[in-house]
Amino acid sequence: MQSENGFYGQYGGSYIPEILYSSQQQILHAFEEAKNDPEFLAELNKQWQQFSGRPTPLTFCANLTEHFGGAQIYLKREDLNHSGAHKMNNVIGQGLLVKRMGKKRVIAETGAGQHGIATALVAARLGLECTIYMGAKDIERQYPNVFWMKQLGATVVPVTTGAQTLRDALDEALRDWSSSHEESHYLIGTSCGCAPFPEMVAYFQSVIGNEVREQSVAQFGQFPDRLYACVGGGSNACGLFLPFLDDKEVEMIGVEAGGKGLELGEHSIRLSHNLGQPGIAQGFATMFLQDNAGQLQETHSIAAGLDYVGVSPIIAHLAETGRIKMTYAMDDDVIAACTLLLKKEGIIPALESSHALAGAFKDAPNLPKDSKIVINLSGRGDKDIFNVAKAVEDETFPQFLTDYLASYPTTQNKGDKA
Amino acid sequence: MSQLATFIEEKRQNKPILSMTHVVYGYPSVEESLSWMERLMQEGVDFIEVQFPFSDPVADGPSIVAACHKALEQKLDVETCLSQLGKLAKNFPESRIVLMSYLNPMYRFGLDKLAKRAAEENILGLILPDLPIEQSATYQAACKANGIDPVWLVTPVTPPDRLAMLASQASGFLYCVARSGVTGHSVHEGKAKQTSLDDYLAQIKQHANAPMGVGFGLRERDQIEQLIGKADIAILGSALLDAYNQGGQEAGIKLIKDLFQ
Repeated sequence: MQSENGFYGQYGGSYIPEILYSSQQQILHAFEEAKNDPEFLAELNKQWQQFSGRPTPLTFCANLTEHFGGAQIYLKREDLNHSGAHKMNNVIGQGLLVKRMGKKRVIAETGAGQHGIATALVAARLGLECTIYMGAKDIERQYPNVFWMKQLGATVVPVTTGAQTLRDALDEALRDWSSSHEESHYLIGTSCGCAPFPEMVAYFQSVIGNEVREQSVAQFGQFPDRLYACVGGGSNACGLFLPFLDDKEVEMIGVEAGGKGLELGEHSIRLSHNLGQPGIAQGFATMFLQDNAGQLQETHSIAAGLDYVGVSPIIAHLAETGRIKMTYAMDDDVIAACTLLLKKEGIIPALESSHALAGAFKDAPNLPKDSKIVINLSGRGDKDIFNVAKAVEDETFPQFLTDYLASYPTTQNKGDKA
Repeated sequence: MSQLATFIEEKRQNKPILSMTHVVYGYPSVEESLSWMERLMQEGVDFIEVQFPFSDPVADGPSIVAACHKALEQKLDVETCLSQLGKLAKNFPESRIVLMSYLNPMYRFGLDKLAKRAAEENILGLILPDLPIEQSATYQAACKANGIDPVWLVTPVTPPDRLAMLASQASGFLYCVARSGVTGHSVHEGKAKQTSLDDYLAQIKQHANAPMGVGFGLRERDQIEQLIGKADIAILGSALLDAYNQGGQEAGIKLIKDLFQ
């Protein structure tokens, strides 16, 4: 979706400190040139195929379809990307752009860690220095991802300001970029931030929807009737939805994180229920969760990747114009959807993607049997093992952890053995 | 000439360089921040730059970020802040107050209302570092209608044509950022190429009719002395906050005396 000078209706734009103006302009021009350069696009496609494993399949879920007795359910398997999430599509694109701009270092922020992992992987592959900012609380929730980022050679910086989650990590990454913009690129992981990031990230992620267009026609002879995607920042939703924007018969549903309840601080619902308010922060205008004084507020989601105070200006605009319908799923419904997919289809979904599942499962029984819905499975659930184990109250998992810790070679034990 | 520029020109008749000291409104409490501002004015600082806190101050370094977050533990509102600053401005006619914040809290308050109320409270300048001049038509109109100066920032990496544009449009004063990065000491040590400060300020002066203030990273007397004859105002932010955090008002005043007297 093309912006008008970086704006999508009243959202978007570029509200950055003056110090970042030159870098922002450099990215703007580099992206404009790159997307019209056949050589760049050929390299991008090659990396998508050979490094990340594209195209990802469109999987029919016969058991779930039978279970609900309504719409025919398909999953777009972004979980099968290298790194286990759609994040790879964008990171490969921006990584190649960094090389094109001649920069040596990438900075990224991450919530669930998927974008951090993807950035660290691509940085290793392209020979770039890599620093990842992550809220200290998110580090606790997603330590396995932190472990891999470190093994990949990235520096992971815990952010201890504010609520110690994604929003604080984003602020800190922006500060780093202000100090290091001449040699560093801020590799934003979602379709947020100052122009051209929303458009650029959506462009790289549109490979998802473009593949669904071809695959749906090839597999069931038509475009899907409905598309579902979870919406944190909104990159996987942009990727799935935007290629279908002009196909008015295709309905699009974005699912936000309802968390524990509708009180401020308990959820990350920006667009449904009018809980967000228009604002300008972190480089762009969008709907933010904020108080009446314009201070951004704390958020919550069981999925760290959806725990964000703002939302893509593209999604905010499409929701405002009615092209996308927004809804939300509560933490409990998300866990139920996750476990249902596990048991019915043998697929382990990320908690972020389980929001899209929960939204779709609510509607599926009431839709005609010949209707086709595609749910974007944006990531796999390996990283969520600790949270899911806790949520389903698995009785044996705590014992496993205790035993494993007891057998772990601590410094003390190593010394004893020596 | 604007009220702010006139004030600077008059003061500069007797001083080689003016002092602008930065205070976070509400830190560590509203009362204490007001008491600190009063003390600074009693000591004869020329300007106080009052930062109205925002939850996500992306152009600031760790000292100011921490102060803003601490200040926001209280319920702060822009209207009360403006009224309180108005009283100070009235009591200390030898100094001026400039309000700095980020766009979102001011946008929520209303940019028209902000310019009007600031003028009523004798606050002569507004600094919004995340508002680019390209998006500022409404804000500029509101400032103009109320005789308030929107203070623009330029940096060592602002491209020459843009620097010329910003400098030529400046009113009140032009805020010249001395180096790449965020305010104060930072965990982020950039490798940005360092333009000579003298060359940078000389380049700005070619285009700017408005007075020039220099800030970001000023901590030493040598740095202030280096600015004499090349700029009108030296802006002291994080260094003053660090001194205040370490030794309260007395340490802060000592730093100002060490740097400016």
